[in-house]
Amino acid sequence: MAGDVQQRIEAYLSRLRGRLRGVNGEEVREIVEELRSHIMEKAAASGEVTAAGVDAALAALGSPEELASQYMTDNLLARAEVSRSPLQILKGLFRWASLSVAGFFVLLGSIVGYFFGVVLMLVAVAKLFHPRTAGLWTYPDSTGSMELSFRLGFGSVPGVGKDVLGWWIVPIGWLLGCALVMLTTHIAVWFVRQYRRSILLPRN
Amino acid sequence: MKERDASGQETGDKWEIQLRKGCLELAILAALWDGKLYGLEILRRLESGSDLIVSEGTVYPLLSRLKALGLVRSEWVESDAGHPRKYYALTPAGKQRVREMAGMWARFSGSMSKLLAPLARGK
Repeated sequence: MAGDVQQRIEAYLSRLRGRLRGVNGEEVREIVEELRSHIMEKAAASGEVTAAGVDAALAALGSPEELASQYMTDNLLARAEVSRSPLQILKGLFRWASLSVAGFFVLLGSIVGYFFGVVLMLVAVAKLFHPRTAGLWTYPDSTGSMELSFRLGFGSVPGVGKDVLGWWIVPIGWLLGCALVMLTTHIAVWFVRQYRRSILLPRN
Repeated sequence: MKERDASGQETGDKWEIQLRKGCLELAILAALWDGKLYGLEILRRLESGSDLIVSEGTVYPLLSRLKALGLVRSEWVESDAGHPRKYYALTPAGKQRVREMAGMWARFSGSMSKLLAPLARGK
Protein backbone atom coordinates (compact mmCIF):
# COMPACT_ATOMS: atom_id res chain seq x y z
CA MET A 1 0.00 0.00 0.00
CA ALA A 2 1.30 3.42 -0.90
CA GLY A 3 2.68 5.57 1.88
CA ASP A 4 0.44 8.55 1.32
CA VAL A 5 -2.64 6.36 1.54
CA GLN A 6 -1.41 5.00 4.86
CA GLN A 7 -0.70 8.54 5.93
CA ARG A 8 -4.21 9.68 5.12
CA ILE A 9 -5.68 6.93 7.29
CA GLU A 10 -3.32 7.71 10.15
CA ALA A 11 -4.07 11.44 9.93
CA TYR A 12 -7.79 10.70 10.20
CA LEU A 13 -7.34 8.34 13.12
CA SER A 14 -5.02 10.70 14.95
CA ARG A 15 -7.55 13.54 14.62
CA LEU A 16 -10.15 11.17 16.03
CA ARG A 17 -7.87 10.10 18.88
CA GLY A 18 -7.21 13.74 19.74
CA ARG A 19 -10.94 14.34 20.13
CA LEU A 20 -11.61 11.34 22.35
CA ARG A 21 -10.58 13.25 25.45
CA GLY A 22 -11.27 11.57 28.74
CA VAL A 23 -12.01 8.17 27.21
CA ASN A 24 -9.73 5.60 28.80
CA GLY A 25 -6.68 4.47 26.85
CA GLU A 26 -7.78 0.91 26.30
CA GLU A 27 -11.08 2.03 24.87
CA VAL A 28 -9.47 4.58 22.58
CA ARG A 29 -7.19 1.85 21.27
CA GLU A 30 -10.19 -0.40 20.60
CA ILE A 31 -12.10 2.34 18.80
CA VAL A 32 -9.14 3.29 16.64
CA GLU A 33 -8.24 -0.32 15.79
CA GLU A 34 -11.80 -1.14 14.88
CA LEU A 35 -12.07 1.85 12.57
CA ARG A 36 -8.69 1.17 11.00
CA SER A 37 -9.82 -2.36 10.29
CA HIS A 38 -13.06 -1.03 8.82
CA ILE A 39 -11.31 1.54 6.59
CA MET A 40 -8.80 -1.01 5.29
CA GLU A 41 -11.45 -3.54 4.45
CA LYS A 42 -13.78 -0.99 2.89
CA ALA A 43 -10.97 0.51 0.82
CA ALA A 44 -9.85 -2.89 -0.36
CA ALA A 45 -13.35 -3.97 -1.39
CA SER A 46 -12.43 -3.87 -5.07
CA GLY A 47 -9.17 -5.77 -4.56
CA GLU A 48 -6.37 -3.21 -4.21
CA VAL A 49 -6.34 -0.49 -1.58
CA THR A 50 -6.46 2.71 -3.60
CA ALA A 51 -6.33 6.36 -2.62
CA ALA A 52 -9.82 6.83 -4.01
CA GLY A 53 -11.04 3.83 -2.02
CA VAL A 54 -9.58 5.19 1.19
CA ASP A 55 -11.03 8.63 0.57
CA ALA A 56 -14.45 7.13 -0.03
CA ALA A 57 -14.20 5.03 3.14
CA LEU A 58 -13.18 8.06 5.21
CA ALA A 59 -15.90 10.21 3.70
CA ALA A 60 -18.50 7.57 4.52
CA LEU A 61 -17.45 7.65 8.18
CA GLY A 62 -17.90 11.40 8.37
CA SER A 63 -15.50 13.86 9.94
CA PRO A 64 -13.36 12.59 12.84
CA GLU A 65 -14.75 15.39 15.01
CA GLU A 66 -18.35 14.36 14.39
CA LEU A 67 -17.50 10.71 14.93
CA ALA A 68 -15.63 11.44 18.16
CA SER A 69 -18.52 13.49 19.48
CA GLN A 70 -20.85 10.52 18.98
CA TYR A 71 -18.49 8.32 20.97
CA MET A 72 -17.94 10.97 23.63
CA THR A 73 -21.56 11.71 24.40
CA ASP A 74 -22.41 8.23 25.42
CA ASN A 75 -19.05 7.65 27.02
CA LEU A 76 -19.47 10.63 29.32
CA LEU A 77 -23.01 9.65 30.22
CA ALA A 78 -22.04 6.03 30.69
CA ARG A 79 -19.32 7.03 33.09
CA ALA A 80 -21.61 9.44 34.88
CA GLU A 81 -24.05 6.59 35.32
CA VAL A 82 -21.62 4.28 37.11
CA SER A 83 -19.70 7.07 38.76
CA ARG A 84 -20.15 8.34 42.29
CA SER A 85 -17.87 11.27 41.67
CA PRO A 86 -19.69 14.60 41.48
CA LEU A 87 -17.06 15.90 39.06
CA GLN A 88 -17.59 13.02 36.65
CA ILE A 89 -21.34 13.37 36.95
CA LEU A 90 -21.27 17.10 36.28
CA LYS A 91 -19.11 16.49 33.22
CA GLY A 92 -21.68 14.06 31.86
CA LEU A 93 -24.50 16.43 32.73
CA PHE A 94 -22.81 19.31 30.91
CA ARG A 95 -22.71 17.14 27.81
CA TRP A 96 -26.34 16.14 28.26
CA ALA A 97 -27.37 19.77 28.86
CA SER A 98 -25.88 20.63 25.48
CA LEU A 99 -28.22 18.07 23.90
CA SER A 100 -31.56 18.65 25.55
CA VAL A 101 -33.62 20.87 27.80
CA ALA A 102 -34.17 18.00 30.23
CA GLY A 103 -30.42 17.67 30.58
CA PHE A 104 -30.14 21.37 31.27
CA PHE A 105 -32.60 21.20 34.16
CA VAL A 106 -30.97 18.13 35.65
CA LEU A 107 -27.64 19.94 35.45
CA LEU A 108 -29.12 23.02 37.11
CA GLY A 109 -30.70 20.99 39.92
CA SER A 110 -27.48 19.10 40.50
CA ILE A 111 -25.42 22.26 40.69
CA VAL A 112 -27.79 23.68 43.30
CA GLY A 113 -27.75 20.42 45.28
CA TYR A 114 -23.98 20.15 45.25
CA PHE A 115 -23.58 23.82 46.05
CA PHE A 116 -25.66 23.68 49.23
CA GLY A 117 -24.08 20.38 50.24
CA VAL A 118 -20.64 21.88 49.96
CA VAL A 119 -21.66 25.07 51.77
CA LEU A 120 -23.02 23.05 54.70
CA MET A 121 -19.79 21.08 54.98
CA LEU A 122 -17.68 24.22 54.64
CA VAL A 123 -19.56 25.96 57.44
CA ALA A 124 -19.17 22.89 59.64
CA VAL A 125 -15.42 23.00 59.09
CA ALA A 126 -15.21 26.78 59.45
CA LYS A 127 -16.90 26.56 62.86
CA LEU A 128 -13.83 24.73 64.18
CA PHE A 129 -11.62 27.64 63.18
CA HIS A 130 -13.98 30.54 63.83
CA PRO A 131 -16.06 29.32 66.78
CA ARG A 132 -17.53 32.74 67.57
CA THR A 133 -18.49 33.87 64.07
CA ALA A 134 -19.11 30.87 61.80
CA GLY A 135 -22.42 29.03 61.66
CA LEU A 136 -26.02 29.48 60.68
CA TRP A 137 -27.10 32.94 61.68
CA THR A 138 -30.37 34.79 61.68
CA TYR A 139 -30.44 38.51 61.08
CA PRO A 140 -33.19 41.03 60.89
CA ASP A 141 -33.13 42.29 57.30
CA SER A 142 -34.03 45.78 56.11
CA THR A 143 -37.75 45.13 56.30
CA GLY A 144 -37.51 43.83 59.83
CA SER A 145 -38.22 40.15 59.12
CA MET A 146 -35.56 37.59 59.96
CA GLU A 147 -33.40 35.95 57.35
CA LEU A 148 -31.12 32.94 57.59
CA SER A 149 -27.55 33.06 56.46
CA PHE A 150 -24.57 30.75 56.50
CA ARG A 151 -21.41 32.36 57.73
CA LEU A 152 -17.95 31.02 57.22
CA GLY A 153 -16.80 33.21 60.08
CA PHE A 154 -14.69 35.81 58.36
CA GLY A 155 -15.04 39.34 59.61
CA SER A 156 -16.15 40.56 63.00
CA VAL A 157 -18.80 39.16 65.30
CA PRO A 158 -22.13 40.42 64.00
CA GLY A 159 -23.69 42.96 66.34
CA VAL A 160 -27.25 41.97 65.79
CA GLY A 161 -28.33 38.47 64.88
CA LYS A 162 -28.01 35.12 66.52
CA ASP A 163 -26.00 31.97 65.92
CA VAL A 164 -28.90 29.52 65.66
CA LEU A 165 -27.19 26.16 65.95
CA GLY A 166 -24.02 26.93 67.88
CA TRP A 167 -21.72 23.93 67.93
CA TRP A 168 -24.48 21.75 66.54
CA ILE A 169 -23.60 23.11 63.10
CA VAL A 170 -20.56 20.80 63.09
CA PRO A 171 -22.34 17.42 63.15
CA ILE A 172 -25.47 18.72 61.45
CA GLY A 173 -23.51 20.49 58.71
CA TRP A 174 -21.46 17.41 58.02
CA LEU A 175 -24.34 14.99 58.04
CA LEU A 176 -26.72 17.17 56.08
CA GLY A 177 -23.98 18.28 53.65
CA CYS A 178 -22.88 14.71 52.94
CA ALA A 179 -26.49 13.58 52.65
CA LEU A 180 -27.27 16.35 50.21
CA VAL A 181 -24.25 15.58 48.03
CA MET A 182 -25.12 11.88 48.04
CA LEU A 183 -28.79 12.54 47.33
CA THR A 184 -27.92 14.87 44.46
CA THR A 185 -25.58 12.23 43.05
CA HIS A 186 -28.26 9.55 43.29
CA ILE A 187 -30.92 11.64 41.65
CA ALA A 188 -28.61 12.81 38.87
CA VAL A 189 -27.48 9.24 38.17
CA TRP A 190 -31.10 8.10 38.13
CA PHE A 191 -31.97 10.74 35.53
CA VAL A 192 -28.93 9.90 33.41
CA ARG A 193 -29.91 6.24 33.51
CA GLN A 194 -33.48 7.01 32.42
CA TYR A 195 -32.17 9.20 29.63
CA ARG A 196 -29.71 6.60 28.36
CA ARG A 197 -32.44 3.94 28.39
CA SER A 198 -34.82 6.25 26.60
CA ILE A 199 -32.47 6.99 23.74
CA LEU A 200 -31.69 3.35 23.34
CA LEU A 201 -34.96 1.60 23.89
CA PRO A 202 -38.41 2.33 22.56
CA ARG A 203 -40.84 3.37 25.24
CA ASN A 204 -44.12 1.60 25.82
CA MET B 1 -30.64 17.55 19.01
CA LYS B 2 -28.92 18.92 15.94
CA GLU B 3 -30.88 21.88 14.72
CA ARG B 4 -28.34 22.74 12.08
CA ASP B 5 -30.20 21.14 9.21
CA ALA B 6 -33.65 21.99 10.47
CA SER B 7 -34.21 25.25 8.65
CA GLY B 8 -34.49 24.25 5.04
CA GLN B 9 -35.75 20.76 5.59
CA GLU B 10 -39.31 19.66 5.37
CA THR B 11 -40.91 18.19 8.45
CA GLY B 12 -41.58 14.97 6.57
CA ASP B 13 -37.90 14.39 5.91
CA LYS B 14 -36.97 14.99 9.52
CA TRP B 15 -39.67 12.64 10.64
CA GLU B 16 -38.33 9.94 8.36
CA ILE B 17 -34.80 10.42 9.66
CA GLN B 18 -36.01 10.14 13.25
CA LEU B 19 -38.01 7.06 12.38
CA ARG B 20 -35.01 5.35 10.80
CA LYS B 21 -32.77 6.37 13.66
CA GLY B 22 -35.20 4.99 16.19
CA CYS B 23 -35.19 1.62 14.48
CA LEU B 24 -31.44 1.34 14.19
CA GLU B 25 -30.75 -0.23 17.58
CA LEU B 26 -33.37 -2.87 17.00
CA ALA B 27 -32.03 -3.50 13.50
CA ILE B 28 -28.46 -3.96 14.76
CA LEU B 29 -29.47 -6.25 17.61
CA ALA B 30 -31.67 -8.25 15.23
CA ALA B 31 -28.82 -8.58 12.72
CA LEU B 32 -26.79 -10.28 15.46
CA TRP B 33 -29.53 -12.78 16.28
CA ASP B 34 -28.06 -15.56 14.14
CA GLY B 35 -24.54 -15.17 15.43
CA LYS B 36 -21.54 -12.92 15.70
CA LEU B 37 -20.72 -10.35 13.02
CA TYR B 38 -18.14 -7.60 12.68
CA GLY B 39 -18.93 -3.95 12.00
CA LEU B 40 -18.80 -3.99 8.22
CA GLU B 41 -20.84 -7.19 8.06
CA ILE B 42 -23.50 -5.61 10.24
CA LEU B 43 -23.55 -2.59 7.94
CA ARG B 44 -23.86 -4.76 4.85
CA ARG B 45 -26.59 -6.82 6.38
CA LEU B 46 -28.56 -3.72 7.30
CA GLU B 47 -28.13 -2.31 3.82
CA SER B 48 -29.09 -5.47 1.99
CA GLY B 49 -31.80 -6.68 4.34
CA SER B 50 -33.63 -3.44 4.88
CA ASP B 51 -33.98 -0.04 3.31
CA LEU B 52 -32.50 1.59 6.38
CA ILE B 53 -30.01 4.05 5.05
CA VAL B 54 -27.25 3.55 7.55
CA SER B 55 -24.49 6.01 8.18
CA GLU B 56 -21.29 4.21 9.04
CA GLY B 57 -20.31 6.97 11.41
CA THR B 58 -23.44 6.20 13.43
CA VAL B 59 -23.16 2.44 13.63
CA TYR B 60 -19.76 2.18 15.30
CA PRO B 61 -20.50 4.55 18.20
CA LEU B 62 -23.85 2.80 18.57
CA LEU B 63 -22.16 -0.60 18.81
CA SER B 64 -19.89 0.82 21.47
CA ARG B 65 -22.95 2.04 23.39
CA LEU B 66 -24.73 -1.29 23.09
CA LYS B 67 -21.62 -2.88 24.48
CA ALA B 68 -21.41 -0.44 27.37
CA LEU B 69 -25.02 -1.30 28.18
CA GLY B 70 -24.16 -4.98 28.25
CA LEU B 71 -26.42 -5.93 25.35
CA VAL B 72 -23.57 -7.10 23.13
CA ARG B 73 -20.04 -8.29 23.78
CA SER B 74 -17.09 -8.13 21.44
CA GLU B 75 -13.98 -10.10 20.60
CA TRP B 76 -11.07 -9.61 18.23
CA VAL B 77 -10.56 -12.33 15.65
CA GLU B 78 -7.58 -12.57 13.31
CA SER B 79 -8.56 -12.66 9.65
CA ASP B 80 -7.02 -13.58 6.30
CA ALA B 81 -7.45 -9.96 5.26
CA GLY B 82 -4.35 -9.08 7.29
CA HIS B 83 -6.04 -7.07 10.01
CA PRO B 84 -8.01 -8.38 12.97
CA ARG B 85 -11.75 -7.80 13.07
CA LYS B 86 -13.88 -6.90 16.03
CA TYR B 87 -16.83 -9.26 16.21
CA TYR B 88 -19.99 -8.53 18.12
CA ALA B 89 -22.43 -11.02 19.59
CA LEU B 90 -25.58 -10.69 21.67
CA THR B 91 -25.25 -11.28 25.40
CA PRO B 92 -28.09 -13.08 27.20
CA ALA B 93 -29.37 -9.63 28.25
CA GLY B 94 -29.18 -8.51 24.63
CA LYS B 95 -31.15 -11.54 23.45
CA GLN B 96 -33.80 -10.87 26.04
CA ARG B 97 -33.92 -7.21 25.07
CA VAL B 98 -34.17 -7.78 21.32
CA ARG B 99 -37.03 -10.23 21.89
CA GLU B 100 -38.88 -7.62 23.92
CA MET B 101 -38.18 -4.96 21.33
CA ALA B 102 -39.37 -7.21 18.52
CA GLY B 103 -42.58 -7.83 20.46
CA MET B 104 -43.16 -4.11 20.94
CA TRP B 105 -42.40 -3.54 17.29
CA ALA B 106 -44.92 -6.15 16.17
CA ARG B 107 -47.67 -4.71 18.37
CA PHE B 108 -46.89 -1.18 17.31
CA SER B 109 -46.69 -1.88 13.61
CA GLY B 110 -49.86 -3.97 13.82
CA SER B 111 -51.86 -1.14 15.31
CA MET B 112 -50.33 1.38 12.91
CA SER B 113 -51.25 -0.81 9.94
CA LYS B 114 -54.82 -0.99 11.16
CA LEU B 115 -54.89 2.76 11.49
CA LEU B 116 -53.42 3.22 8.03
CA ALA B 117 -55.66 0.65 6.32
CA PRO B 118 -58.10 3.27 4.96
CA LEU B 119 -55.22 4.98 3.15
CA ALA B 120 -54.19 1.74 1.50
CA ARG B 121 -57.73 1.10 0.26
CA GLY B 122 -57.80 4.49 -1.39
CA LYS B 123 -60.65 7.00 -1.18
